[in-house]
Amino acid sequence: MNKELEHSFVELLEEHQNIVHKVCRLYTNNQDAHNDLFQEITIQLWKAYPKFRGDSKFSTWMYRVGLNTAITLYRKSKRIINTYDIESFQFKIKAEEYDDTEEQQLKLLYQAVHQLNDIEKALVFLYLEDKDYREISETLGISEVNARVKMNRVKTKLKTILNP
Amino acid sequence: MDELELLKKDWKKDDTLKYPKLSYNEIYTMILKKSSSIVKWIFIISILEFVFWTFIAFAFKGSKSLKEFEKFDSDFVIIPLTIAGYIVLAYFFYLFYRNYRNISVTDNAKVLMENILKTRRTVRQYVAFNLVYLVIATFAGIYIQFDQNPAVINRAEMASANGEAFMFYAKLFLMTSAVLLIIIGILLLFYWLIYGILLKRLNRNYKELRKLEV
Repeated sequence: MNKELEHSFVELLEEHQNIVHKVCRLYTNNQDAHNDLFQEITIQLWKAYPKFRGDSKFSTWMYRVGLNTAITLYRKSKRIINTYDIESFQFKIKAEEYDDTEEQQLKLLYQAVHQLNDIEKALVFLYLEDKDYREISETLGISEVNARVKMNRVKTKLKTILNP
Repeated sequence: MDELELLKKDWKKDDTLKYPKLSYNEIYTMILKKSSSIVKWIFIISILEFVFWTFIAFAFKGSKSLKEFEKFDSDFVIIPLTIAGYIVLAYFFYLFYRNYRNISVTDNAKVLMENILKTRRTVRQYVAFNLVYLVIATFAGIYIQFDQNPAVINRAEMASANGEAFMFYAKLFLMTSAVLLIIIGILLLFYWLIYGILLKRLNRNYKELRKLEV
């Protein structure tokens, strides 16, 4: 692959890296796993980049590759011990941002999302990213109606997890 | 407030604070590393399977027992079996390669999963073919022995002279079947372990997506 291609890719990814971080945030629960998944998504993006024609936005294209890697291609690295320390990992920054109740509520919400299965997480992710049902259905390969139905079920499931 | 709306509000807030900002060089180093995706593993394992069965076929062809066997008039069985073996190998390898090339990370999640499973299915069918082939070749071999090997014919005749023909054939059939079953059993166990581990998550997620379409 030529240098120019490498350069344009790395620049684009540097600019849009938060999309990858966000995927990792939903699909992993510690910093090591986060980094590992980030690495794999980066490789997959890079491998697919020569075929990226620019007919969709780079960010839209990243959503698809990122989610596909997280849901289907990624194998957890053996060196990663599966600890459930999302609390320390994801909430350390927010210490003084919110009042206690909202912070507590968010903490529980993120924990609840982590309990969803891979497909449900993908729906939540796309929803949080303001994607419409057409894009959700196209990314996952299900019909728009089913995406809507499933999204409602996920909302109910989250409610049940939060208020058992 | 809806739970997800609250989450969305937080999700959209100050991204810059939440995540580490990787530099150009850090990302550049990442693209030089090797992938460890399941597709890569499936590719490696599938190639090994093709190599394994081809190796078995060659090892068998060079073996002493087959040389012995060639003394008999067995071309009518061996030649068609060998040709069938090669044609089927070429056919499955072509299918496998075509399916493998079709795997694209930019497809939608369902199509991507289907393509990966299709690639696996090709190799699985090839292995199934080999197992059937093994059974047919074994029984064809036994048939030729009984037809042409004087020592075997002699033993069979002795057994039937003693009125033990049924026992003789039953024993032979049971022992051959047992050996074949053990070999097949070990292979299937091995298989079940490797792919059970490798494809567990993929199968689960694929099922989840399929469930939505019913």
